[in-house]
Amino acid sequence: MRRRTLLASAAASAAILPGRARAANEIKIGMPMALSGPGALYGQPITKGAEMCVAEINAAGGLLGRKLILLPRDSKGNADESVRVSRELILKDNVDFIVGSFTSAESPAVSTIAKENKVLMVAPTAKTIQLTSPANLHPYIFRTASTTDIEGRTAATLMAKWDVKRVATIAPDYAYGRDIMEAFSVLLKKLKPGVEIVDQQWPKLGQADFAPFITAQMSKQPDAVFGAVFAGDFASLVKQAKPLGYFDKIGNRYIGAGETGSIEMTRSLGTDYPVGIVANTYDPVIWPDAPEVHKKFTAAIKTHLKDDYGSSWAIMGYAGVQALAAGIKKAATIDADKVSKAMIGLTFETPIGPQIIRGKDQSANRGQFWGKLVRTAAHPFPVFEKVEYTDPTPFMD
Amino acid sequence: MSRRIPWTLVVLLLALTIPWFGSRYYTFLATQIAILSLFAVSYNLLLGTTGLVSFGHAAYFGLGAYATGLLMKELNVPFLLALLAGGLLPAAFAGVFGYFCVRLTKIYFSMLTLAFAQIVWAICFQWNEVTGGDQGISAIPYPELGWIGAIPGLGGFRTGDHFYFACVVLVILCIWVLGRITDSPFGRLLTTIRENPERASFIGVDVRRYELAAFAIAGGFAGVSGALFGIFNRGVFADFMFWPKSAEVLIMTILGGMNYFWGPVAGTIMMVVLNQQITSYTEYWPLVLGTILLVLLFAFPGGLMGALDAGAKRLRGQKTGGGDA
Repeated sequence: MRRRTLLASAAASAAILPGRARAANEIKIGMPMALSGPGALYGQPITKGAEMCVAEINAAGGLLGRKLILLPRDSKGNADESVRVSRELILKDNVDFIVGSFTSAESPAVSTIAKENKVLMVAPTAKTIQLTSPANLHPYIFRTASTTDIEGRTAATLMAKWDVKRVATIAPDYAYGRDIMEAFSVLLKKLKPGVEIVDQQWPKLGQADFAPFITAQMSKQPDAVFGAVFAGDFASLVKQAKPLGYFDKIGNRYIGAGETGSIEMTRSLGTDYPVGIVANTYDPVIWPDAPEVHKKFTAAIKTHLKDDYGSSWAIMGYAGVQALAAGIKKAATIDADKVSKAMIGLTFETPIGPQIIRGKDQSANRGQFWGKLVRTAAHPFPVFEKVEYTDPTPFMD
Repeated sequence: MSRRIPWTLVVLLLALTIPWFGSRYYTFLATQIAILSLFAVSYNLLLGTTGLVSFGHAAYFGLGAYATGLLMKELNVPFLLALLAGGLLPAAFAGVFGYFCVRLTKIYFSMLTLAFAQIVWAICFQWNEVTGGDQGISAIPYPELGWIGAIPGLGGFRTGDHFYFACVVLVILCIWVLGRITDSPFGRLLTTIRENPERASFIGVDVRRYELAAFAIAGGFAGVSGALFGIFNRGVFADFMFWPKSAEVLIMTILGGMNYFWGPVAGTIMMVVLNQQITSYTEYWPLVLGTILLVLLFAFPGGLMGALDAGAKRLRGQKTGGGDA
């Protein structure tokens, strides 16, 4: 009995031993990402994209003669857990860098941890402008995602092109939704002084019942709507809006931010998708005018994901690692402070062409693809009629 | 569980040795275990001692975290004062909610505790101006603990270690107080209520008032542990008070052995280590964790402490018996 207890406790203590000190021939990248729960639909392909980039770099001989190792961890899509796994990655696994955390709620929290531990972090998808606002900026946070300013202001310019007077908005009631609506309304009023924001709805994130919000909005008789309801919430909104005639009433003049034009979204909604609306995505995937580098990326990611259509999100994980790798290469060291300096003003390659990380907010000039969704005979789900990448530069300040 | 061994002191001394291993990760894990242990021990005052199954204990944990976090971050209130508020505010809330909850029994009591906890959660989740809503409050300052480094022999430690020392001392102090409460005549009456509430009321015990007192005390100590956790976690989030957190503390307590005072601590160690290990090996952690918990609960119906107790008794050649409280 005693011996068995001894063995058991020895086994138990062995199990909690911290990982070996970092090996000199490796560069470890921790990746906290939503791999379970509602965010997993996007978190999974983002992780796969990062994985593919790491594999490609290693196949080409690694970085600074070292092998990249990606350690993905499930952040469960919530801030609390994201912080926990990030600290575990730093303290136990001794990661050199972090690429990750998914939402605008998680990333500012992980950014605090990165700052405290002086571990450089690249946020590949978090858009809240707060993440890199002057008060929260520090040398160890970089962003390769778009921002709420870019997204909201792009939507405002698109809205300004329409002949509308009464505009309504609907967005989730948290950082992302509030920041994007602020950016949108300010610019729209400047571009089109005659326009009036007649209604603003704030459903909570993960709202199950959208009917009250929809009917309240319809009663204000808007001409057009700007929505930032995304992911599963957008699917709920669409399904509940249909019987109420919401999209018909506004003549499909709905601009949907939050990657509502992603191939994940169009495929999951299929014939329920409200065609005729304008939506955005990080990667149109089905893109006739795609440059060669994008075609190559799409073919590779399809194989890597074992999926016939690919993903609109994988590119974000892929480009996040590309940015970091370019920074390490330029710094020629893995010292966080030196890589941080190297990343400011850095130009790095992505599947949609080169991007620049500017010094002011340590964010890449990542815009999005916008366009009208239509049904075609070629695909069982809606695709962009004509998709355009909007240059974010005019919207970043 | 011999009465002659001062377990509280033994655990305190053992816990204080951790930073000497020199690993930041050990200290990190130990801090988490220490703080959550207090959460679980406070819960056991309800579950094991009084026989009340609360499904909403996380509400008080979260309230403590928000109270202390906001006071320290927004108003620069000193650590100990903020911590005190982090205990008193949840105790007051527990007093109010408990007033209604103890009017119900069994599953109805449990459901009402859950309902109150979900209300508190919903408020914290939506009240963006104060609680930061979904985004929570991040960058809560570490308390000023540099003086610990001035103590002879503790010079070479990091901020995280200093915080750990402070946590261990505070947690053990709270656990000691909870132990004294459990062993006091008041605590004995709570056990009487657990065993037979009708009989307790026949002998003139105001059952509801005693239950309410236990509920408020447990809520207060849960608040202290939440307050410490918020600082440790470098941020406070609405998830702290969401129902899975209440389920977690229930599982930790049962897993460790609710009939033993130190049972919840054993359960916390088990749960934290399991959670850390499994999530770093597989993305299918819920399946693995669930299976392990299932096996453990079936194999050790008295919890880990029950199994240890039975093993120790067998070694001494005694008959296996149930645990003593």
